[in-house]
Amino acid sequence: MTYVFDFSWLGEYMPVLLKGIGITLQLIAVGAVLGISLGIACAWARALGPKWLGGIVAVYVELIRNTPFLIQLFFIFFGLPSLGLQLGELTAANIAMVVNLGAYSCEIVRAGIQATPRGQFEAGASLAMSPFETFWHVVLVPALQRIWPALSSQVVIVMLGSAVVSQIAAEDLTFAANFIQSRNFRAFETYIVSTLIYLALAILLRQLLRGVGWTLFPKRATR
Amino acid sequence: MTLVRRSLLALAACAFAAGLAGTAPASADALADITARGTLRVAVPQDFPPFGSVGIDMAPQGYDIDVANLIGEKLGVAVELVPVTSANRIPYLQTNKVDLVISSLGKNAERELVIDFSTAYAPFFNGIFAPDDVEVADIAGLSGKTVGVTRGAVEDLELTKVAPADADIKRYEDNNGTISAFLSGQVDVVATGNVVAAAILARNPPKRPELKFLIKNSPCYIGLNKNEPALLAKVDEIIAAAKADGSLNAIAQKWLAADLPTDL
Amino acid sequence: MMEFSTWDILRNLLLAARWTVLLSLVSFIGGGLVGLLILFMRIGKLKAGRIFARGYIELFQGTPLLMQLFLAFFGLGLFGINVPAWLAAGLALILWTASFLAEIWRGCVEAVAKGQWEASSSLGMGYVQQMRWVILPQALKVAVPPTVGFSVQVVKGTALTSIIGFVELSKAGTMVTNATFLPFTVYGFVALIYFALCWPLSKSSQILERKLNVAHRNH
Repeated sequence: MTYVFDFSWLGEYMPVLLKGIGITLQLIAVGAVLGISLGIACAWARALGPKWLGGIVAVYVELIRNTPFLIQLFFIFFGLPSLGLQLGELTAANIAMVVNLGAYSCEIVRAGIQATPRGQFEAGASLAMSPFETFWHVVLVPALQRIWPALSSQVVIVMLGSAVVSQIAAEDLTFAANFIQSRNFRAFETYIVSTLIYLALAILLRQLLRGVGWTLFPKRATR
Repeated sequence: MTLVRRSLLALAACAFAAGLAGTAPASADALADITARGTLRVAVPQDFPPFGSVGIDMAPQGYDIDVANLIGEKLGVAVELVPVTSANRIPYLQTNKVDLVISSLGKNAERELVIDFSTAYAPFFNGIFAPDDVEVADIAGLSGKTVGVTRGAVEDLELTKVAPADADIKRYEDNNGTISAFLSGQVDVVATGNVVAAAILARNPPKRPELKFLIKNSPCYIGLNKNEPALLAKVDEIIAAAKADGSLNAIAQKWLAADLPTDL
Repeated sequence: MMEFSTWDILRNLLLAARWTVLLSLVSFIGGGLVGLLILFMRIGKLKAGRIFARGYIELFQGTPLLMQLFLAFFGLGLFGINVPAWLAAGLALILWTASFLAEIWRGCVEAVAKGQWEASSSLGMGYVQQMRWVILPQALKVAVPPTVGFSVQVVKGTALTSIIGFVELSKAGTMVTNATFLPFTVYGFVALIYFALCWPLSKSSQILERKLNVAHRNH
């Protein structure tokens, strides 16, 4: 048997692929913005918040970091309805990504906060800054600057991990690939094309995040 | 190191092989290979009752599994069952991991370009199923409804063709996903086989998939690689004989609780 | 009609979890060996080796593991290499793991201060000697916590092999859900089993890291 490669389907299925890319981008945009925000809030709770809140956050972070994303997704989409919580597949996928990235960025941001010398807090207080202002200007921004590269890699990892949301029929890039190969039976060609698209997306996303880092923390760029 | 190189080479070659031909294992004749090997490798479903599902011991059972065993017996070889999903069953065949796909496979023109099909071996009626309180009378009634279906299954192809534009079709990876989505209320309606719905009903689910209407009669075929005339002829011959001597009807009675339709 | 008791559910999941454990071990050990090779190419003197290693890491870290698994399973078959599901799953996981471990370890080697290189070369040591006696022993110590930490990602990565038909914990979970109609219970159990596998690893990674930091501060 000779297998002949055939990419002639590309034109016909281009809209499906483009739609899939769009959904993947939407998922990671929402996931990154809300996930990092959640992570910052959680890092504050663990490092400086009340003890009971820090405890709850610790359990959340450990649970998420020690179970596969796929299972979290199944639990949210198939499991929660039996508790009466019905979520559409895109909402479920978005929530799963925010919750997942939230847990990871909490740990990353916390590491950055812990590296802030104690004296900085006192310096902030002596400048008559409120505790919130101290946290924002003295602790958080330098911490974010320090851990921005680690946070960026985590965002890329979560973007690539989002490939599994196709399992609950969210129509992302992997869904598009699966959909196309179930119609044309050209599995290899379809997966090669989608793999290359993911690679391009990962490279672009990394550049974009580097640019965001430069704009957010201009000091770092001039250093 | 060779592994790394090889897979990178494979990737690179794949990426640039548009229009080029790669060579797969050169098997002169699949039927001769099967006889020489002494085993027939068959792709069967594990999430598609009553055609194929798992028991408490996690071993496959069902209509497709019985047909696989019947063919193995007639060929005088042992049968190796390979559980697959509707998404990966064709790649299994194309990469020679299995000799036959007996996995409630439907036939269409696009698929016939890629693999060959035997004569029909099982009846299959696609229908729209929903709980009693959902009002759907015909295909137009799907308008505005969320419909769950297994991606790439016969009913997916059919539904995509006939459903109204504003029906929201959700395509799940495999039948596990489709059934779970229906039972957990993620979709109002499922499109699936009548026998599949019957198998779910028999297990007393929290949500009952009652038949609303049938979409199409689309029997199942055995899939095999192209250019294997000897194997195709042999499989067709075994199916014809099994239809004639009633052994296929016995399988239908056992799993579908009905006689085979005479026009199959 | 067959009925699954809670014990039947748990028993089937635990039986399948054996494959998750085995696959994780194979991927981690194999990935470590391949990763070491990539590391030496990445930090080595040979330009072609450095370029290859960078490309390798970019490719395997820049694409979803799911796609890699699929291409390993069905792609290699196309080139006449017939691989069973467990081997393809192991192979893809090994290559994926290697790309991450190589990069983690490179960070550790580079963390060894530049002065160490200069000091050891002033002692007249060659590259191999420097590596063997000065750089690697120090890098190794730094490398243990993140390496143990990454093993958690490997265990979780095995969940994706369900998609190429390998019956491990996740696949068993979907199969049992379908036979029992109890997604909440089944996925709850699945998550707990993963947690029981991963949490000790995460925890020991954290403890190791704390110990190492204390050791550093005492310098």
